Amino acid sequence: MTDITTRPADGGAGGTALSLKTFAPAIFLAPAVLLLAVYLLYPLVDSFRLSMFDWNGLGSDARFVGLDNWKKLASDALFWEAAWNNILLAFFSVVVQMPIALVLAVVLDNAGKGSRILKILYFLPLLMSSVALGVLFKYFYDVTFGPLNALLDFVGLGYLAQDWLGDTRFALGAVIAVVCWQYIPFYMVLFMAGLASFPADISEAAKLDGASETTIFWKMKLPHLKGTIRTAIVLSVIGALRYFDLIYVMTGGGPEGASELMATYMYRNVFSSFQLGYGSTVASGMFIVVILIASVLMRFSKRYETEV
Amino acid sequence: MSSKLVSKLSALACGAAMAAVIPFAAHAEDKVISVWDLQTTEGAVKVIRDAADRFEAANPGYKVEDTHILNDAYKTKIKIAFGANEPPCVFSSWGGGPFREYVAADQVVDLTPYLEKDPAFKDRFAPASFGAVTVDGKIYGLPAENTAIAVVFYNKEMFEKLSLTPPKTWDELLHVIDVLKQNDIAPFALANKNKWTGSMYYGYLVDRIGGPEAFANAAQRKEGGSFADPVFVEAGKRLQELVNMGAFQKGYNGLDYDVGGSRRLLYTEKAAMELMGTWEASTIGNENPEFAKKLGFFPFPSVPGGKGDPSDLLGTLGDNFVSVTKACPEKDKAVELIKFLTDDTAAAGRVADSRLPPIKNLKVDNPFLQEVSKLVREAKSVQLWWDQELPPKLGELHKDTSQALFGLSKTPEQVAEEFEAAAKAELK
Repeated sequence: MTDITTRPADGGAGGTALSLKTFAPAIFLAPAVLLLAVYLLYPLVDSFRLSMFDWNGLGSDARFVGLDNWKKLASDALFWEAAWNNILLAFFSVVVQMPIALVLAVVLDNAGKGSRILKILYFLPLLMSSVALGVLFKYFYDVTFGPLNALLDFVGLGYLAQDWLGDTRFALGAVIAVVCWQYIPFYMVLFMAGLASFPADISEAAKLDGASETTIFWKMKLPHLKGTIRTAIVLSVIGALRYFDLIYVMTGGGPEGASELMATYMYRNVFSSFQLGYGSTVASGMFIVVILIASVLMRFSKRYETEV
Repeated sequence: MSSKLVSKLSALACGAAMAAVIPFAAHAEDKVISVWDLQTTEGAVKVIRDAADRFEAANPGYKVEDTHILNDAYKTKIKIAFGANEPPCVFSSWGGGPFREYVAADQVVDLTPYLEKDPAFKDRFAPASFGAVTVDGKIYGLPAENTAIAVVFYNKEMFEKLSLTPPKTWDELLHVIDVLKQNDIAPFALANKNKWTGSMYYGYLVDRIGGPEAFANAAQRKEGGSFADPVFVEAGKRLQELVNMGAFQKGYNGLDYDVGGSRRLLYTEKAAMELMGTWEASTIGNENPEFAKKLGFFPFPSVPGGKGDPSDLLGTLGDNFVSVTKACPEKDKAVELIKFLTDDTAAAGRVADSRLPPIKNLKVDNPFLQEVSKLVREAKSVQLWWDQELPPKLGELHKDTSQALFGLSKTPEQVAEEFEAAAKAELK
């Protein structure tokens, strides 16, 4: 920024046009930078500051405890279980969402105009509010009244019927399935956009040369999508690591913490246990975990920025 | 540099906001008293607005701004408002542990001097109702809305059909459970995603086994009270005995009370009973008036050899207390307002809305409320729900550990020890 402000001086008397030019980017960027500073940078720094306090979030009796909260976090089994659950969510998000989204995108891309209705249908889950979805799927998974168990019963697989959200073994998986279902359309659209930019003349040329549709897909279209897929994976992993809403609505992190995520654990600490200090430590710990994993991921996908 | 910019900008924004407000305020000249509560039903809001109107009529130049916020959103919002030092003048709470945090943070006005000046007003309330808002002998809130106690609701018609009578003792309860199970009916409906729902069983068992002192002494760290006491272990064992014999319907730990997870089981007659606060009666009356006709209730049964009196209750006298914040510029007027909010006219309005404010000699025609009122009058002790009574951190742990007891993933001994360790650290 200092760079920009010094330049007009060099321009001398005839610098009005020039200074406008140099100031323009700064002026246009200012709102975004300001918003980021207020809503991102400040809370981030402040939550690190708060993580050093023992404070209930009320009044002025905050007590500076240095790194005590951080030591507690390091040995807090609940936090690490939550972090592990986040990693599971990230893993399954990628493994489930990417292939299905890709298949849907390819099918819809090949189907041409006739697929408009399908495109809209497939896109619907993304348009629904997570809270509404969560309540809907709570009914879907209901042990006694839920259609899922009823369906299993109907097809003679009644012995597979489970207490999906109330059993510590299934709760996380049950919610992950819904999360994947909700976000597949997002990646589908991303991949469709990628496929749309694949030049038609190239595939025609390949066809003339005798390449089959499968060859075209594996050898040409998929490599073309590489960058998009990388972006999708990064987005999906980061999203999963920060995930909150469906878990909060469907299980509240339970039963017995079986589906607890870092974000729901933080929320419980701050708003239910009145531990704003420790809650901030959890938030900051979460930030570090996300940054670490995301930067490793970015490293493995260097071309990500240029190809989308 | 950016912080300067921010402050300049916010000053600018404030200026603009002020400019918009000033002409209007100068015109009205009213002093505003803000009220936040979590009453969102039409009847409850009407009582509050009506009291506010009466206050405004008696105090020209003052205006009451009442804001009604949904339960969970309210809990978050009020906490943030206090943390940001911008609380409303008057706010609602449940008393107990979380409320004491606000008092300890020096945010709440001590009402004792005001009440001493007006003993006739104070003496209208049931004395026990001040317990949840009393800290170090000082009263910080007025009981306003309702009396809510936990009782076992049951399907009268179903009990008749199976020639069952409401159980008074543990053995009778086991018999009822047996018969219901033989008829493929889940004895208890329980939606324990919310955790406080199941924790009431534990609370009642501790009372029935060890008497009200067991919890009170442990929570207040007096007379050798401890959460590792055998009373708590036995309560956990009895609870898991119920779980093991299938007293709760399948999937109890995942059902959500807020979306009617347990009540649907009652409506469809897949379950026969539910331990719940008395607000349940009006909820069911609204949701399913047909079923409400079959609804009966009985107090939690006694346990053989237990020290607790079967008349002891778990619940709240007041269920929402109104308090004044220290940040309020018009404290005296705000106190006057909360007296309007809890006076006889307001109480009568609440009774007409099927609620039971804890006021002596209240005229009640509704037979259900009469029964509740009788239980409360005869109770030897009314213990506030544990999750409200305990400091927030322990309240959360209590809910977590009781869910673990239900899930059979922790033994009663483990829970008792874990809880005692946390209580030692938290309660000093």
